Amino acid sequence: MKRLQSAMCVPLIFGSIMLGLSGCSSKAIQSGGDSQPAQQGAAKGSDEGGVSQNIPDTSFSGQDGLRGLDKNPSEERVGGNTLTAKADPGSASRQMEEIRAEQAASAAAGLRDVFFAYDSFAISEEGRQVLARNAEWIKSNPGVYVKVEGHCDERGTSAYNLVLGEKRAKAARNYLVELGVAPKQLSIVSYGKERPVCTEHAESCYSQNRRGHVVVKTGK
Amino acid sequence: MTFRTVVIISLCLSVGLAWIIESGATDVFLEATRPDFQKIPLAVAGIDNIGGADSPEGRIRLGNRIEEILKADVRRSLVFSLVDLPGLGIKVGNLGTGPNPEFKKAAEQGVSVIVWGKAGMTNDAKDPDVNMDGYVYDAGSNEMVGGKRYAGSTSVVRLMAHRFADELVFRYTGEPGIARTKIAYVSEQGSARELFVMDYDGHDSRQLTADGFLNLMPRWSPDRRFIVFTAYRNRNTQNIDMIELATGKRWTLVSLSGLNITPALSPDGNFLAFASSHEGNSELYSLDTRTKAMQRLTVHAGGDLSPSWAPSGRELVFASDRSGGPQIFLMSMDGTNVRRLTFEGDYNAAPAWSPRGNWIAYVCRSPKKEYKICLITPDGQKRVQLTAGPGVDDSPSWSPDGRHLVFSSTAGGKSQIYMINADGKDLERITFTGTHNSAPAWSPAS
Repeated sequence: MKRLQSAMCVPLIFGSIMLGLSGCSSKAIQSGGDSQPAQQGAAKGSDEGGVSQNIPDTSFSGQDGLRGLDKNPSEERVGGNTLTAKADPGSASRQMEEIRAEQAASAAAGLRDVFFAYDSFAISEEGRQVLARNAEWIKSNPGVYVKVEGHCDERGTSAYNLVLGEKRAKAARNYLVELGVAPKQLSIVSYGKERPVCTEHAESCYSQNRRGHVVVKTGK
Repeated sequence: MTFRTVVIISLCLSVGLAWIIESGATDVFLEATRPDFQKIPLAVAGIDNIGGADSPEGRIRLGNRIEEILKADVRRSLVFSLVDLPGLGIKVGNLGTGPNPEFKKAAEQGVSVIVWGKAGMTNDAKDPDVNMDGYVYDAGSNEMVGGKRYAGSTSVVRLMAHRFADELVFRYTGEPGIARTKIAYVSEQGSARELFVMDYDGHDSRQLTADGFLNLMPRWSPDRRFIVFTAYRNRNTQNIDMIELATGKRWTLVSLSGLNITPALSPDGNFLAFASSHEGNSELYSLDTRTKAMQRLTVHAGGDLSPSWAPSGRELVFASDRSGGPQIFLMSMDGTNVRRLTFEGDYNAAPAWSPRGNWIAYVCRSPKKEYKICLITPDGQKRVQLTAGPGVDDSPSWSPDGRHLVFSSTAGGKSQIYMINADGKDLERITFTGTHNSAPAWSPAS
């Protein structure tokens, strides 16, 4: 019986090793550092959005492998660090200009932000009053488009704060719609904890960052 | 079948499974806890300077610079323990191409491997070439078992040392080593956050994007040629973009309405898992990169996000707030067999499955309400809080050898990137400049 047990064990382990190794065997097929990039992407993101039909192949190519030690080593030319950023220096200043334009338009309109409690996306009584005043202005300006940005404090993960920020933006937007604002005038976006107004690690600062920032949308 | 037979068969099965998951490598958990785990004692006897060449940076001798980088790589490999030869009373003079007579004495004192070499620069003032030779003495055979000869421009000096370190790890473990791996991360530039890539030790950082707004949460393709990330292309919408490192070429992969966040490519590169809120709240989707078919994986009123692939590519771990605060869940890659993994604490998020399969790292909120890094086994049987103290820790990411993690932390005031061993030792800060560095993602090895 004992022998039978170990005999059963061997093929099981062996099979598993083969399974484990099979994933690596394709590694050595291709070589050469600067392999050709796949197709240039289209799908720039139309208004409806969607999924790109043009995705480069990202499966294993196993470039840049180690060649092992050698008693009489031949010279290996070390390249690499070839990556280059396609920086668009104009882009940052364009963004800044658009942000300033939004801020100026929002200040002129007298739009105010709504603030949230820790871990929460519930609109407070104070928040309702702020949104009511915002709603009046938006309704009396049917030609404008308003964006609610959801923001969070620095606590918690970047990723989950994007979800929480969206919940805050949605809560504020939904309340504005409840107050009679036309849905087509409203849009939302979440910035999570990535665009804080304040960077101290204290509640006085956190409370300013947990906000639904209501702005007049000036760009696309 | 007796009870004992059942036990033995299931033991065989679990050994077999462990083999699949770890692809024949050492178990990091055993390494971390087994008191008898023996690292291989290795000494760097020295990298001699040849040709009297100085490095262009700071007039430090090239050989000494390479030696320093090599020693740091050896220490971080966790495969070797770095032995100091003078500390053993062993002084080697000039090093040649053959083993030094003193090496045998070191071997007698338990040193298993001794490496040495030489480095210099050509006299071409305009475009000098760097040459480095490295040799390996093995105590077992009492001879030089092999070496490497490298040549390249002055900009690849660090890379030469890293390559040699990885060859050492490869020689003694069969694994490629992590010294040539890279870390993608997000760095604040003015009021914008852009993607950067640096070496695993924090050196040689390069900027990848300059959009002027937000680019977040980078993840590598398995072939290390691409990074997928969350991009705000026009401040009002988020896309999932892909960038090719060598060229800076960009693709927009997903541009659905609402959130398009936390992309993660499967280990074979054939599937892109991501979260999108285009059907209401944040749900997980899987995009087949060959057929472009998109499959919805989760159906729940709660928010689902942050998918991370098991090394087998058959399962995903993700965060979901379907039970109140965010918790960690597991599911099969087709969205079936969903089960909750974390039950301790009311906030667990940002899971990252170890490349060895045996641990899942995540951000946990401690009883003191601090956001720290925790580890849990995929069966939920073992849980460890890896970091402690003040500061918000975020975005754990595994080294490809499964022995280290990088994460961001505000422990020092501003958010910076840190490295830590999977056993909680050797916490090391690796970014020092800038106002905010976050979202580190460790590249696969090559």
